[in-house]
Amino acid sequence: MKKISIFIAIAGAISLSGCDKKLNLKNPQAIDAADAFSTSDKVKKVLVANYAALGAGALFGGNVLWMSELMASGGDLNWVGTFPEPRQIWSKTILVSNSNVAGTYSQAYRVIFNANNIIANAGVVVAADKPKVIAEAKFQRALVYFELIKFYGEKPYFAGSAATLKGVPLITAPGPSAPQDGYYKLPRATVEAVYQQIIADLIAAETDLPAKNGFYANKASASLALARVYLQQDKFVEARDAANRCITTATANGFSLVTTYAGAFNNSANTTEDLFAMQVTDQAGTNSCFTFFSTDTYGARDGDIEVTDAHYNKYSATDVRRTLFFLEAGAWRCGKWRDIYKNVKVMRLAEAYLTRAECNQRLGTIIGATPDADVNRTRSRAGLLPLVGVTLQQILDERELELAFEGQGIWDAKRLRLTVDGKPWNDDKMTFPIPLRERNVDPNLDQNPGY
Amino acid sequence: MRKLKLLMLAVLLLSVQLLWAQTKTVTGKVTDAKDGTPITGVSVKVKGSNTGTFTANDGSYIINLPKGLNSLVFSTVGFEDQEIEVKGSTVNASLSPSVKNLNEVVVVGYGTQVKRDITSVIARVKGAEVQNMPVADLAQTLQGRAAGVFVEGQNGKIGEGIKIRIRGASSLNGSNEPLYVVDGVPLVGGVYGSASSDINFNDVESFDILKDASAAAIYGSRAANGVILITTKRGKAGKTKFTLNTQYGIQNPTHKRGFLDAAEYIELFREAAINTAKYHYNRAGNWRGYASEAAAITDMTTYIEGRFTRYSGYSDWRTLQTNTNWEDQAFNEDAKTGLIELSAQGGTDKNKFYVSGSYNDQDGILIANKFKRMSLRFNMDNQLTNWLKMGLNMSLNKTERKRLSADNAFSTPMQLVAMSPITPTRNLEGVLYNTPTTTYYNGLIDMEDAKNNANGYRNQGNIFFESRLAQGLSLRNELGLDMVNQNDERFWGSRTDGGTGIGGAAWAQWFRNTRWTTNNFLNYITTIKDKHKIDATVGMSFENRYDEYAYAEGENFADESIKTLAGASTITGGSSSQDKNNLVSYFARVNYNFNRKYLLSLNVRVDGDSRFGSNYKYGTFPSVSAGWIMSDENFLKNVQWLSFLKLRGSYGIVGNNSGVGFYSSAAQYGSVRYGSTGAGLGITNFANDDLRWEKVATTDIGFEIGLFNNRVSAEFSWYNKQTTDMLLAVPTPSPSGTTSVFGNIGEMENKGIEFTLNTTNVSGKNFKWTTSINVAKNKNKMLKLDGEQKEILPSDARYANAVIIGQPIGIFYGVKFAGADPANGDPLFYEQDGKTTTNVYDDAGKFIIGDPNPDWIGGINNTVTWKGIELNFLFQGVFGNQVQDGAGGFMSASADWFDNQTRDQLKRWKNPGDITNVPQARLNRFGDFDSPAISTRYVYDATYVRLKTLTLAYNVPQKIASKAKLSNARIYVSGVNLLTFTDYPGWDPEVNTDYRSGNVNQGSDFYAAPQIKSIVVGLTIGL
Repeated sequence: MKKISIFIAIAGAISLSGCDKKLNLKNPQAIDAADAFSTSDKVKKVLVANYAALGAGALFGGNVLWMSELMASGGDLNWVGTFPEPRQIWSKTILVSNSNVAGTYSQAYRVIFNANNIIANAGVVVAADKPKVIAEAKFQRALVYFELIKFYGEKPYFAGSAATLKGVPLITAPGPSAPQDGYYKLPRATVEAVYQQIIADLIAAETDLPAKNGFYANKASASLALARVYLQQDKFVEARDAANRCITTATANGFSLVTTYAGAFNNSANTTEDLFAMQVTDQAGTNSCFTFFSTDTYGARDGDIEVTDAHYNKYSATDVRRTLFFLEAGAWRCGKWRDIYKNVKVMRLAEAYLTRAECNQRLGTIIGATPDADVNRTRSRAGLLPLVGVTLQQILDERELELAFEGQGIWDAKRLRLTVDGKPWNDDKMTFPIPLRERNVDPNLDQNPGY
Repeated sequence: MRKLKLLMLAVLLLSVQLLWAQTKTVTGKVTDAKDGTPITGVSVKVKGSNTGTFTANDGSYIINLPKGLNSLVFSTVGFEDQEIEVKGSTVNASLSPSVKNLNEVVVVGYGTQVKRDITSVIARVKGAEVQNMPVADLAQTLQGRAAGVFVEGQNGKIGEGIKIRIRGASSLNGSNEPLYVVDGVPLVGGVYGSASSDINFNDVESFDILKDASAAAIYGSRAANGVILITTKRGKAGKTKFTLNTQYGIQNPTHKRGFLDAAEYIELFREAAINTAKYHYNRAGNWRGYASEAAAITDMTTYIEGRFTRYSGYSDWRTLQTNTNWEDQAFNEDAKTGLIELSAQGGTDKNKFYVSGSYNDQDGILIANKFKRMSLRFNMDNQLTNWLKMGLNMSLNKTERKRLSADNAFSTPMQLVAMSPITPTRNLEGVLYNTPTTTYYNGLIDMEDAKNNANGYRNQGNIFFESRLAQGLSLRNELGLDMVNQNDERFWGSRTDGGTGIGGAAWAQWFRNTRWTTNNFLNYITTIKDKHKIDATVGMSFENRYDEYAYAEGENFADESIKTLAGASTITGGSSSQDKNNLVSYFARVNYNFNRKYLLSLNVRVDGDSRFGSNYKYGTFPSVSAGWIMSDENFLKNVQWLSFLKLRGSYGIVGNNSGVGFYSSAAQYGSVRYGSTGAGLGITNFANDDLRWEKVATTDIGFEIGLFNNRVSAEFSWYNKQTTDMLLAVPTPSPSGTTSVFGNIGEMENKGIEFTLNTTNVSGKNFKWTTSINVAKNKNKMLKLDGEQKEILPSDARYANAVIIGQPIGIFYGVKFAGADPANGDPLFYEQDGKTTTNVYDDAGKFIIGDPNPDWIGGINNTVTWKGIELNFLFQGVFGNQVQDGAGGFMSASADWFDNQTRDQLKRWKNPGDITNVPQARLNRFGDFDSPAISTRYVYDATYVRLKTLTLAYNVPQKIASKAKLSNARIYVSGVNLLTFTDYPGWDPEVNTDYRSGNVNQGSDFYAAPQIKSIVVGLTIGL
């Protein structure tokens, strides 16, 4: 009997000591999803991480910039690298299976997923910080919806009735926790609906964002983002006013153009001119513009993107912006993306001046400053003589050179109704397809015409 | 006690007989034919009488032979019976270990069973069979020895990457390796090398390979790929026996394939350059604007000669001053291997022990590749009281590895073959050349200036108590701990490609994986009315696994003779992690045997695993099997030639939990860094409450037969393994926040047959010859991916592995090469119609172009003994599979770039009308044409037959040995991989390059080292 009691003692002790507890182990390297939104501090950390998500290679870590520029090439740059996906974007022969096209789409919704969770859980954030946290999340959400609607929307805003053009699925609140849930098989919202969401988010963000916020979103960056949105809609009054608010807020809070043009690029810390930039260090962050625009001399690939002589010759001989190009491996290279571990510029103050100049010129107003004054700011920094009585074309030319290869290429081309590489601005192939993988898992997603 | 009683009985019988019969006294000694050790407890019977005795501890016996009888029969469990005619008064018997003995005791999960009564499929390889094989990993020793057990080394790097597939692969995303259980404790995997290489297999008594669901189901959610139960040696009562074992030998590659020499290289590349000039001028639009074809040729000639000058360093290529064989540079000349080992075993009836210490030092065949294993073992059994037994198994091992970079790294020795033969290895100052003199980074620099050391420490032990609670009822409690520590120290000097530009780099990683287990089970054996035998086991087990990891890396070394992180001026990274997993299990088994003829076995295990989703915390794995011993039926009893016939069948469901990460079912947030100061929390895993084990339902039908007094015995099995709930990344719509979650939705099937035949061909007094043959065929088929997806096609220019529904896992899908165009030497490919050819690779059709899974595998093992001389040889073969050479596009590429070429490239197309499979030599300087990518041009049949092992041993006669005060002595010469028969043109057909090997990525060669060929001489002495 003694023996049996030994057995019972041993077996019992082991089997009864809370097996279910033993089967619910937590990952020491992570916290539970519910826990991530349990305190004010944690929600703020999720917000920080969403900047990292925004700065992923597939989004503002570079891809949305160079994809815009490759599409807008128009003889200004050549893709010579071996990757077929960027080549398809460059030649506007994109396959529905293009992995860059799929990657940006997915990463954008990751940012939206995070932003939706932050906004939905903002209730736990201390009252003093709550508006700011929501504003930053809305800023993040608006920024990626804007990229989504521009790249994947059936047509540009003005190519038809925005109320019937197909946009992208709109999701603004957290859904079920299981990703395979049918809830996520969403149809495409209209272009108009997506634009309204973006504008609503940006207005809210502009209201509640602080004027200074380290390298995170600030009030002026929300204003400039709004100006970009309005420009895509040809709403010049609203664009002008947003650009003007941007400049007013920025200059009142220590932002200004940096002294030299070269000084505005290849920075590991934001300059006074950077309203918003994705942070890149040797330990975190991605800059895929560097990867493809720069060369192996600087630690990049072999120089996949070449700048053509045609583009180089658009700068006058005395334009210091021309000197930023460097010759490597037999072609011109864009010096804005030359060095490793440097921030990715998303919004520079210079753009706000050029937007205000353009809108004032179009509208015949001088809100904030005259078009001449605004255009001559960047021109004088570039070592060029000031213009007097600038024309719209001169402002647009100045905009092209000042912002070259910074990601605005195709959007400016489209809103200006330009023809690029023989394709009119509203051509079917000037829009990305809805990625094949998305349509495979969501039968409610229609494809864009031409794909 | 029982033995004592028997002995007394024997003595009694003996004395009675002494009184009544005219008898003759015979004495002798019974030894193990394998190593000459005495065998205790052997039954010695006089044929034709009831007279019998048993051997004593030293193997000796004494028996009285009744008048008129003159044959003795020796028999004991685990050895072949032997009948010897008595001629003098001394009869020594040397018993061979049996492979077919039906009374053999086989180890099953949580117990043992007699082979005769087993209704499941278990292959047994005895430790003695593989003793002293000069290989690093015990998995290698099993190659070719058990039906349906496929063993493949990735390459010839020592102590690394061995794949075992028991009855095919059942999973796409989980592991397909079997579960190893050593003396009841599951073996934890390490990070470097395979876990099985930590075990000194000379300590192993037996490997019992559980193949069907009935045998494996007792291991539940980890049993889908079969289970290998390793039982280590235990002491036997008797005089302490010491064994000293030494071995020394050399290792070489199985094959060197050969490359162009300097003269051939210059000839081929000059020709390629001229062809390129002509191609560019005439066929590629002359976009470089040469004035004439002659001008193009002049330019290309200048270019190629410039390269020759660059590649030849100080030497003059025009006079062929240098002719380096870079392939030879990759290998050690006659690498050494050595082993020294001492063991002792013995004890009393109550206390028995086995101890051993071993030191194994092997140089790899590749330069700077080494493997050392030091191991200690202590096994003990102690009968504490008449009802309580205690035991202990302890082992302590250290493995030291000097490792090499993966096969796709420039720094791996095998990539030296890409260098030009006109390039000297060193300049006149004796310094190794590097680029631009060498074509690529010179991997020899790594051998001088880099360090890649991985040391592993494994401490495995368990204690057990076995209590006899009542008649037939016993309880066993086991407590085990398996702990593996590994540290990986790497250094790259500033001359190496890993350390250049950053002042050298170093990296230190440290891992500790611990598993502690407890098994507690009751066993009850009873026989009711002599006809119903019941053997029941019920128990529980708990396992806790804990993995810890830390690493740091740094660069910028003040002095490169300091090769640890202590020398790094800048620390550039670091991290640590801890992971836990619990497994709570309950299991039960009932074996029922009616009248010794009708057998039934029921097994069930319930596994609760912390890694599974909240809706599926517990999995249940049942199995049932039945057997019918037909030969015991009356209608067969009188069939003289049929000694044994058993039909058996089983069905069961086993699981595979390996595809599920420790925490992959719960939604989680982890640390995310943003900018220089941003500390964030980002989602790292999405929830899947349904995440669970993969299920494999196995049906098995077979028979076992013994003929002519079991002189011929055979086993046959047919099986059907159906995997369901197979883990796949299920794509999800991006608005969910992620693009995929792992879900249990795929299906796969393996069907096959296995056949084993053992024969005793000659069984004379002095001459004996036995043969064991095993063959197996497995057919794998993908049945379902995520339901909508039909295929996962290859996306790699060098490999064609695909997953296609209806086809085996990892099938090759790609382009068919049609040889060189006789008109112009262009490479041709078949279009989709399979007939028309095109010279544009992208326009070619896509076909099934090969299968990395073998159709048949098998082995033939022969043992021939003549007096003290013993010859054993094992041929092992793999049939019907293909290998794709991913490096073909570099080294068998019609001089596409400057890599030295394989010798077959000399057969290139030269003149219109030439019929050859090697297109015209053209150097792809201008990108005018596609460089060669994967097609059937680089897919080869990899069937092979290999003389896996050959051992010739001489057991010194007892008389001589005892004069030297030895109980036995054995001298042997043994070889591994001595001969390989294959049509595979590469280094070795047994290959799967390490850097990409996986469930799908099979059958790939990429500068993978050939397997190791070893020849050793050894001496085993018993005291």
